[in-house]
Amino acid sequence: MADDKDVLRDVWFGRIPTCFTLNPDEVTEREAEPYYLLLPRVSYLTLVTDKVKKHFLKVMKAEDVEEMWFEYEGTPLKWHYPIGVLFDLHASNTVLPWNITVHFKNFPDHDLLHCLSNSIIEAHFMSSIKEADALKHKSQVVNDMQKKDHKQLWMGLQNDKFDQFWAMNRKLMEYPTEEGGFRYIPFRIYQTMSDRPFIQKLFRPVSPEGNAHTLSDLLKEIFPAAIPNEGEQKRYQVVIHGIEPLLETPLQWLSEHLSHPDNFLHICIIPTPTD
Amino acid sequence: MAAVSDPPGAPERSGRLLAGRGGGRSAETWKRHVVRQLKNRDLRQHTMFQDLIRFYTQLLEKNSLAKGILSSSTRCSSSDSSSSISSLLHQNDQLKKTTGELAYQVVELQQQIKIKECVLEERHARLVEEQCRLVGVFGVRQELQQQVEQVQKKNRVLKMEYDALLERQRGAETRLREAEDKGGHLLEDMIHLKQQAADRMNSLNERKSRARALKLQRDLQTTVTSKVPIDSCSSAPASRSTSPKNEERGESTERRRTRLFRSASASSPRILTSIRKLFDRKRRGRSVCSLEEDLMGPVGVCLAARVPVRALQVLEAHEQGINAVTFSPSSDLLATGGTDRVIKLWEVRAGSMTHRATLDGSTEGITCIEFDPTGSRVLAASYDKSALLWQLDNSVPKLTLTGHSRKVTAARFSSSIHRVVTGSADRTIRLWDLQRAACVQVVEVASYCSDLVCPENCIISGHYDCKIRVWDSRAGSCIQELPAQGKVTSLDISPDHRQLLSCCRDDCLQLVDLRWWSNARVCFRAEGFKCGSDSTKAVISPDSCFLAAGSADGAVYIWNVSTGNLETRLSDKHSSSISAVSWSLSGEYIVSVDKSRWAVLWSDL
Repeated sequence: MADDKDVLRDVWFGRIPTCFTLNPDEVTEREAEPYYLLLPRVSYLTLVTDKVKKHFLKVMKAEDVEEMWFEYEGTPLKWHYPIGVLFDLHASNTVLPWNITVHFKNFPDHDLLHCLSNSIIEAHFMSSIKEADALKHKSQVVNDMQKKDHKQLWMGLQNDKFDQFWAMNRKLMEYPTEEGGFRYIPFRIYQTMSDRPFIQKLFRPVSPEGNAHTLSDLLKEIFPAAIPNEGEQKRYQVVIHGIEPLLETPLQWLSEHLSHPDNFLHICIIPTPTD
Repeated sequence: MAAVSDPPGAPERSGRLLAGRGGGRSAETWKRHVVRQLKNRDLRQHTMFQDLIRFYTQLLEKNSLAKGILSSSTRCSSSDSSSSISSLLHQNDQLKKTTGELAYQVVELQQQIKIKECVLEERHARLVEEQCRLVGVFGVRQELQQQVEQVQKKNRVLKMEYDALLERQRGAETRLREAEDKGGHLLEDMIHLKQQAADRMNSLNERKSRARALKLQRDLQTTVTSKVPIDSCSSAPASRSTSPKNEERGESTERRRTRLFRSASASSPRILTSIRKLFDRKRRGRSVCSLEEDLMGPVGVCLAARVPVRALQVLEAHEQGINAVTFSPSSDLLATGGTDRVIKLWEVRAGSMTHRATLDGSTEGITCIEFDPTGSRVLAASYDKSALLWQLDNSVPKLTLTGHSRKVTAARFSSSIHRVVTGSADRTIRLWDLQRAACVQVVEVASYCSDLVCPENCIISGHYDCKIRVWDSRAGSCIQELPAQGKVTSLDISPDHRQLLSCCRDDCLQLVDLRWWSNARVCFRAEGFKCGSDSTKAVISPDSCFLAAGSADGAVYIWNVSTGNLETRLSDKHSSSISAVSWSLSGEYIVSVDKSRWAVLWSDL
């Protein structure tokens, strides 16, 4: 169990070294230095980039500044995905640090959501938690919580307070022992090469026969191609929080320990690098 | 990229091997795999860059700082390098102008300083003032604190007193509770006693009714067995006056009297009877113990009352104080009534009293008793707001006259037949019809009525407002008011209805001559005579020659009417205040009763 707690900590404190560079098209008074930052995997881009914004605003005229947005190798980064997911999906097998380009103009309305204040992130975060609990407990746990409990969850994430967050999140992870798990596992499977943003289906943690479902069972059901046939070279990597768990890992355990703070198990399926 | 994919490869393989061996181990494997991969990930992505990024950020900050300084200094040096004389001069002018401005500023500032100093002084003064006030306020505060201390001290004292009082109250409460307990016990005892009394009464009544039934039966038997003697008796009415049979006495006297009245002329019946009684009296004087005496009817007038000299009998007549005593018209029967709610009938014969019967029925004490002229009925007034009428042969009252709202103080047979008059503490006088057993008239009086007498056609009542009122019994209106010296406690009228005796609380008996309707009054006083209560009863002797009254000192005082002096004082028999006296119509006996249950029979024998 000590291991489980360590896993939770490692997941929470996962960091990605990132180098922010200003888009060369932006009009500046002088040359902008790149800005380096360790981004928390479980947080959201717009929530942790205040310093970045401040840094670049120093060299810019106020009238040239519009809403800030980020882009990696031509892909606008969706702030409403957790940072870890963005990294695993787009840049997991590249050289570190992660190079992100900062834009203050030409906001891609088509690809990105506007994020004018932290309350929008909070609303998105809380709605994810509620959706996950609807899957796990028919919303019973989250509805039983008080307003301040919800606030505690959000403040835990916003201020990077592991204990504060988990004191409350623990309740969301409980389940009746006789059922052996949640009602359904809240998960999302992301692919780079698909037009669909992600796959999300109802999937129980335990089979009708009473056996615990594993990651492999989930993939067989949702994305059979991710499982290599016998003797065949592995075509896809199944990445959660920057690691590849074994396929026999029980799904319930994964949901409890490797979920993001929004209570979803975000699974990225990326092609195995060919080099 | 190989470095990323290779490390997880090896444990994956070993994990699969372990999974083949056992479920428990394989569970460990996947978890260990996750932990190890996470550690690896952090090592590659986090730890390696942590310091680097920190240092970079620091450098960035320093750099920007340095740049800021550098830019300002370079601007300065550039202006220096492009110097010329004109520009220097220009600068000089500028400097001078600046100096002037500065001097002006200095002056201005000095002025400001002065103003500030003024303000400062003012402030200082105010400060001093405030300090003074503060000192004053401190003094006041100290005073107040002293007051507070004093008040607290007082409060402590009060609290102590309060505690003491509380303690006392608690003590008092416990005492009260004890007293209440005791009261409850007493009440229980009383209820018990009452119950016992009721039981006794029940058994008494039962015994009486049984005795009566027995007697009836016996009478019936005698009637059945002795038919012939009765016939002979009725056939010889002439010998009735000498018949010795006691039980036929009442009947025989009755018949004789009717005969007498029938034979007498309507104009002067009283003279005839008096003459007849005179003879009777003489004969009785000769042979006191003869059986014939018992056969005599009621004595209307006594010609010679004899002043008693000694007590023949002293006895404890009642269980509680005695309020009233009366001889029957025949003088051989005496009725006493007291606070113990019963009337006792005594036979007075040969100088001794013997208990004959008890009349009960009143629920409170008896205040007044009167026999009717035939001597067969007894009327009594009671504290229970009613008057009661008994037939002598029945201990249960024949009538109960209720209607007064307070105790009835006097009840008298009226001169007209079937009428009685009652006086009450509720300040009314009521007339009752005995045939209808109803109140026929209510006379409102101004004051508490203590006693009344009923001569022909009028009612005379005595009151606590020191007045004696004479009422017309038919109209119910007050004809006359006679003054008295004090609260009137009792009234008595002479047998010839000429003189009225009243007893007052000022220890004086007053005799009024009713004939003149005037103020012809004689007062009788004696040294030592003291009216003992508000209902002390005094009487006129049957021959109207003497007055008798009991005193608070336990002595009976007898005055001579003609001389107005005290005739005699009978003492040493009563230990408490005498409440009433009665003079037998035969003139032989006086009975006095007192508040401590004793009755004394006086005579001259």
